[in-house]
Amino acid sequence: MMNQYIIMCRSLTYAQRASRVLERAGIFSSVTKAPMGVSPEGCTYGVRLRTAELAGPLETVRAAGIKTGRIYEIQPDGSAREVTA
Amino acid sequence: MIYLDSAATSLLKPDTVQYAMINAMNSMASPGRGSHEAAMRAAEECYDCRENLARLFHMEKPENVVFTFNATHGLNIAIDSLVKPGARVLVSGYEHNSVMRPLYALKARLLVVDTPLFRPDDFLEKAERLLPRADVVVCNHVSNVFGYILPVEGLAALCRKWKKPLILDVSQSAGVLELDFDALGADFAAMPGHKGLMGPQGTGVLLCKNDAKPLLYGGSGSASRSRSMPAYLPDRLEAGTHNVTGIAGLNAGVRYVLEKGTQTIRRHERRLLESFARAMTDWGGARLFYSPDGEVQSSVLSLLPRDMSCEALGDALSEREVAVRTGLHCAPAAHQTAGTLDTGTVRFSFSPFNTEEEVLRCAGICEKILKNL
Repeated sequence: MMNQYIIMCRSLTYAQRASRVLERAGIFSSVTKAPMGVSPEGCTYGVRLRTAELAGPLETVRAAGIKTGRIYEIQPDGSAREVTA
Repeated sequence: MIYLDSAATSLLKPDTVQYAMINAMNSMASPGRGSHEAAMRAAEECYDCRENLARLFHMEKPENVVFTFNATHGLNIAIDSLVKPGARVLVSGYEHNSVMRPLYALKARLLVVDTPLFRPDDFLEKAERLLPRADVVVCNHVSNVFGYILPVEGLAALCRKWKKPLILDVSQSAGVLELDFDALGADFAAMPGHKGLMGPQGTGVLLCKNDAKPLLYGGSGSASRSRSMPAYLPDRLEAGTHNVTGIAGLNAGVRYVLEKGTQTIRRHERRLLESFARAMTDWGGARLFYSPDGEVQSSVLSLLPRDMSCEALGDALSEREVAVRTGLHCAPAAHQTAGTLDTGTVRFSFSPFNTEEEVLRCAGICEKILKNL
C-alpha cells in the first residue's frame, strides 16, 4: 500500500537537493514546506513522497550525504504522525 | 562598438540571459518565502543555478554555493570569517582593492609576494618562504590588470602542507579557466556573476568549503523562531530577499559556459589576445604587458603608450567606438608591483563574443591614434 511521507531536511536547499537525488534515482518527490506543528524551529522544508516502503528512498538520500530530520507519515485527515525508519 | 572591456563587465552576453531574466520577472517570487507556485519556481531557479555552479567548479555540495551581490561582497564575508584584526596575511602583489581594502580595514599585517609578472615559479618560491609566518592566505587567480595567471594550484598545495586557510579571488578566471574547488581545498573562492559567468551586474557567488561568519543578519526563510542566523549554508550567509531575476540571468550564463566549455572559451580568447598583441608589437608604439606563454596569461592585456597618456588613448578609442578601460583598474597594488603606479595602463580584455576582425581593427585604430595619423 502506498503511503505519503515527509522527510524533514535542514533547509529548503537541502530539501531541493534531496528531491533531485531522488529524481535521479527514479523516485518522484516534491519539496514542501513543513506544517508548523512539525517544525519547532519554524519555517522548515522537507520532501514529500508517496511510496510503499521508505527504506529505499531514505537510503538514497542519506547515501548522497544529505542529513535527514524527522520523518512523518501523512494521515488520511491531513495530520502528520512521526514514524521511525 | 567594439567592446573590449569584458574584464570589467561582460556586456556581450548570450541572448538566453535576458530571456531568463524577463521570465523570472514575470513568473517568480522569492525562494523560501512561501510554498505557492511563484515562490517554488524561484526556489527551483536558485537551486538549479547552485547546482550548475557546483558542476562548473567541481563541488560535491550545491548548498555550499552562496549567492552574493558581487565578488567584493563574497570576499568581505570570507575575509571577515578568517582574518582576525592584526593578523598576518599573505597576498600576491597583484590584488584588487576588493581584497586590499578589507585587509587594510582589519589592520592586517601583509606579507606580499611581489614577484615579477608571468613568473609563477618565482611566485611559488617566495610564497613558500613567507607562508610559515602567515595566518591566512588571500590570492588572486588572474590579475585584472595584466591577465597574469597566478599558480593557485601550487599555492593551494603549499597551504595544505602548512595548514593555512586560503581565500581565492577568482573574479577574472571564473568561466574562463578550469577550477576544481574541492580538489584545491581552498576555504573560499569569490567571484562576480557579471564577468566570465555572463550573468547580470549585481550578482556574485561565494564558494565555501565549510562554515562562514555572516556579514548580514536578517530573514532567511528558515529557522524563523531562532534569534540567530541558521547554522547551515547557504541560509547562514543569505539574509534578505534574493536577487532572483539576477540569479536567473546568472544561471543562463553559467549554462552557456557549461555548454561551451571553459577550454573552448579560453582558447578563443587567447587567440584574440595573441592576434592583438602581434598586431600591436609589429610597429612598437606601446609597451605591451604580454607573455607568449598561454599558461601564464589569460585574456586580459595591458599596454602603456610610448608618447601619449593612457587616458588620452582611452578617450581617443572611445571616440572611435572602441571600449577599453584606462587607469589603475582598482588595483594599485598590481601597478605598484609592475611599476606602472604613476601611469596606469590601458586594458584590453576579450570575450567569447569578440571576433578576430574586431581585435585587428582595434589594433589598426590604436596605431593610427598613436602615430597621430
